[in-house]
Amino acid sequence: MPIQRRTFLAGTAAAATLTSAPKIHAASKDKQYRTALIGAGWWGMNILREAMAGGQTKVVALCDVDSDRLEINAEEVSDLSGDTPRTYRDYRELFEKEDVDVAIIATPDHWHALNALAAIEAGAHVFIEKPTGHTIGESQAVLAASRAADRIVQVGLHRRIGPHHVSGMKFLKDGGAGDIGLVRMFVHSRGGAEKPTRNSEPPENLDWDMYCGPAPLRPYCRRIHPGGFRHFLDFANGTLGDWGVHWLDQMLWWSDQQSPTSVHSTGGRPIAGAAVLNDDEQTTDAPDHQTATYEFDSFTATWEHRKFAGQGPEQTSIGCYFFGTQGTFHIGWRDGWTFYPADSKKQVIHQDAELQEPDGHNLKLLYADFLRSIETGNRPAADITVGHQATTLALLGMLSMKLGRSVRWDAGAGQIIGDDEANGMLRRTYREPWTYPEIG
Amino acid sequence: MTSMPLYRFSVHGLFVVVFLASFSQCIAEDWYRWRGPSGDGISRETDWKCDWTDGQAEIAWSRSVGTGFSSVVVKDGRAFTLGHVDGQDIVYCINVADGQTVWTFGYPAELDDRDFEGGPISTPTVDGDRLYVMGRAGELFCLQISDGTKLWGKNIADETEVRLPGWGFSAAPLVIGDTLLLNVGESGVAVDKHSGDLLWSSDDRECGYASPVLIPNSEPTAAVIASGKAYVGVDVQSGEQLWAERWLTSFNCNAADPIFHDGKMFLSSGYNRGSALFDISGETPDLIWKSKEMKNQIHTSILYQGHLYGIDGDMETGARLRCMDWSTGDIRWSVDDLRPGGLAMADGKLLLLTEPGDLIIAPATRDGWEPIARSKVLDGKTWTSPVLSGGRIFCRSIRGQLVCVDCRD
Repeated sequence: MPIQRRTFLAGTAAAATLTSAPKIHAASKDKQYRTALIGAGWWGMNILREAMAGGQTKVVALCDVDSDRLEINAEEVSDLSGDTPRTYRDYRELFEKEDVDVAIIATPDHWHALNALAAIEAGAHVFIEKPTGHTIGESQAVLAASRAADRIVQVGLHRRIGPHHVSGMKFLKDGGAGDIGLVRMFVHSRGGAEKPTRNSEPPENLDWDMYCGPAPLRPYCRRIHPGGFRHFLDFANGTLGDWGVHWLDQMLWWSDQQSPTSVHSTGGRPIAGAAVLNDDEQTTDAPDHQTATYEFDSFTATWEHRKFAGQGPEQTSIGCYFFGTQGTFHIGWRDGWTFYPADSKKQVIHQDAELQEPDGHNLKLLYADFLRSIETGNRPAADITVGHQATTLALLGMLSMKLGRSVRWDAGAGQIIGDDEANGMLRRTYREPWTYPEIG
Repeated sequence: MTSMPLYRFSVHGLFVVVFLASFSQCIAEDWYRWRGPSGDGISRETDWKCDWTDGQAEIAWSRSVGTGFSSVVVKDGRAFTLGHVDGQDIVYCINVADGQTVWTFGYPAELDDRDFEGGPISTPTVDGDRLYVMGRAGELFCLQISDGTKLWGKNIADETEVRLPGWGFSAAPLVIGDTLLLNVGESGVAVDKHSGDLLWSSDDRECGYASPVLIPNSEPTAAVIASGKAYVGVDVQSGEQLWAERWLTSFNCNAADPIFHDGKMFLSSGYNRGSALFDISGETPDLIWKSKEMKNQIHTSILYQGHLYGIDGDMETGARLRCMDWSTGDIRWSVDDLRPGGLAMADGKLLLLTEPGDLIIAPATRDGWEPIARSKVLDGKTWTSPVLSGGRIFCRSIRGQLVCVDCRD
C-alpha cells in the first residue's frame, strides 16, 4: 500500500467562533492602509487575505457585480479581521464615497484599466492583477496615469519575487546556463472538443450589464461567470493573456527588459471546435493552442500553449526553458527550477519551489514589497513598467494571431511599425457609455 | 402472489422485522434510501469482512447501468439505480445475487453532458412496495418495485412552474408518512405519495442539490430543504417556511445534506462557503461556530462518535478527506492525496471509494487515517458514494459500471 501524505492539524484553531478574537491579529506596524478590493472573486480574495495577514490593511470596501460574492466575501473579511467592509456594485461609487489608500484590482481583464485609472484618480496606490490591460492602449494609459500621479502600481506577477524564481534568475544571470540563444515558454494541459453551454437569464445576484461593461453585451452563460472569463476574448486574452504574461515576464526579467523587434503568432481551435455564440448557447472563443515567436536582437523567444494532449513526453507541462551553451535551464511552478547540463556527465542541479498554499503563489512577499514601496517611494518588484511590458508582449501575440501576420514593434514609440491596421488593434471600441482611456 | 391481500404482507413483514431485531444486532440491513435507513450514511451491519487476499476484493458481478451519478438503494435482494442510455434515463431493478436485470423502466431524457458527464444525478427511494424516482428535468415517477409498473408519473417542475437549477434536480425524494417531499423550488414541493397529487409547492427560485432531511423530534414535523441560497426549515404539513439560514456559495450549489444531532444542525458547502454548526433548539438557528476548513462540495459528511468525516474541497482540482470535531470545528486530520470520490461508513469503518475506483476501508477514528484494506474495484471516474447492504458493497462509476463487491462473512 502506498504511503499516504498526511497533514495532521490536531489542535489547530480551524474554526472561528463568535466569541473568540479575530483570527488575524494586526502586526505591530504603525500604518494601516485603508484598502478596497475591486473584483471580489477567488483570486481577489487570495490577494486580500494576504494583505490582511500582513497586518497593515484595514478593509474598508469590497466591490463586485455579483452581490452573492460580495456578501459571502464581506462575511469572510469580517470573520478574519473584524473589519466590516462596505459593499459596492459600482467601483465609481466606491471611489466617490470611500477614502482609499490602496485599491486591489482583480476584475476580469477587460475592466483592469478603467478600474485602475479610477483608483489612481482617487489618489490610491494600486495592486493590479496581470495583465495590465485587455488592449495595449489601456495598459499604456495605466502606466502614464500612475507616473503622472506618482502612485505606486504593483502588478500581481508574484513569480517576480517567489524564492525559486529569484534563485533561478541569479543562476541564469551568473552565467550558469552559459550564453542563451533561445527561450521557450509553454503551458500545456489536457482537453478535447468543447460543447456549447446554454445561455440563460443572468442570476438575479449578478449585474450582467456591468459585468460586460466596456465589452460587447452578450447573452449570459454560466460558463463565463463565475470563473470562466479567461477564454472569452471579449473579456480576456486566453492562455497567452493569462499564464503567458507570467512566463513572458520571466524571460523579460532574465533579458533585463529588452524589447522584441518583431512578433508573429498563429493559433486556432482545431480540437475545441469553432466558437459558438448565438441566442441559445455559446462556447469559449480563445484558441485551444497557440504559438508565438518573439525576435530579439540577441536571442529568440517562443510561446506555446495547447489545451490537449497533456504533458506528453516532456518532463513538465509549464514554465520556461532557457537554452544556453552550458545546458538547458527550466523554471517552473510547483516543480521549482532544474538545470540540465549540456555535458551529460555533469550533475543536474535542482531547486524546489517555495509556495503558499492552497493555490501555489507568492502573494505574501509581493504584497509586502508593495507596501514597502509605498513607504519608501521606491519602485516595487513588479512595477507597472514591468507588468506593462509583459502584458504588451502577450497582447502583441494575440494581435498578430488575429491579424494573420507578423508585426514589428517600436517599444519606444509604443507603436507597430508601418502597419496602420495593426496599430488600430492596439485599442478597442468600447460599448456606450464607456470611453476608451486616453494616454497621459 | 399478486392475489394475496396486501394486509397479510404487512402483518407478516412487521413480524419478521420485530423478530430479527430482537434477536440480533447483526442482521443484513436494507439500504432502502439515500444515506441509508438511519439517514446518516452509516450502515449498522457488522457481518461483513474485508480481508481481501492479494489486495483484491471479490467482485461478485459487474454490469452497466448507464451514465450518471445516481447511488444505489437496496430492498429485499434487489438493487435500484438510475442511468442514462441512448436518449433515455433508465431505472434498473437488479438482482443483487447475480447482477441480472429484473426489470427496467425508461423515460425520455437528455444526457445533457454540458459541463459534466451528464445523466441522472438523484438516487431513488424505496417506500414499502413503491420506488420513487426523480429525473434532472423534474420527471417524477412512482413505480411498483415488484415489476416496475408505473403507478403514477408527472413532471413536477412543469406542474409547479419552477425553474430547474443549473445542473438539474439531484435530491432524493423523502417519504414522511403519506407525504413525498422533494427539493424543487425555493423551499420544496410535497405530493401525496399514493396519488402524486400536489399538496403544496414553493416559489420559483433556484433550488439546491441536497436532499430534504427531517429534523428529528420536531414539532410540528419539519424538514430542511437546501435552496440555492439558504437552508430552509419547512413545516412538512403546510410547506410554511419556519426559518431560512442564508448560505451563499459561488454557484448556488448547496449540495451536502444538513446533519442533525443533539439539537444542532451542521451545514457545509463548497465553492467558497465552508461549514457551520447551529443550535436549533430555539425559534431560529443560532450559530455556534463556522469554519472554512470543511467545504463539502458534493458529498455529505458522516457524523460518528462526535466527529465528522467528510470530503473537503473541489472534486475537479483536488479534494481532501478530513476529520472534524463536531463540537468545535477543529480539524483532527486531513489526507490530501487520496482523490476521494465517495464515502460511506459501516461498523465503525470508513468505506472510501476513490475517484480512480479504489475501495479503501479504514477505521473511523479521530486519531488518523490508517487503512486496513484496499482494492481496485472500478476503472475510471467515480464520484458516487459506495453502498453496503447485505454484506455487499455496491460501487458505481460515472460512465455506468456498477460492481458488487462480495464482503459477506
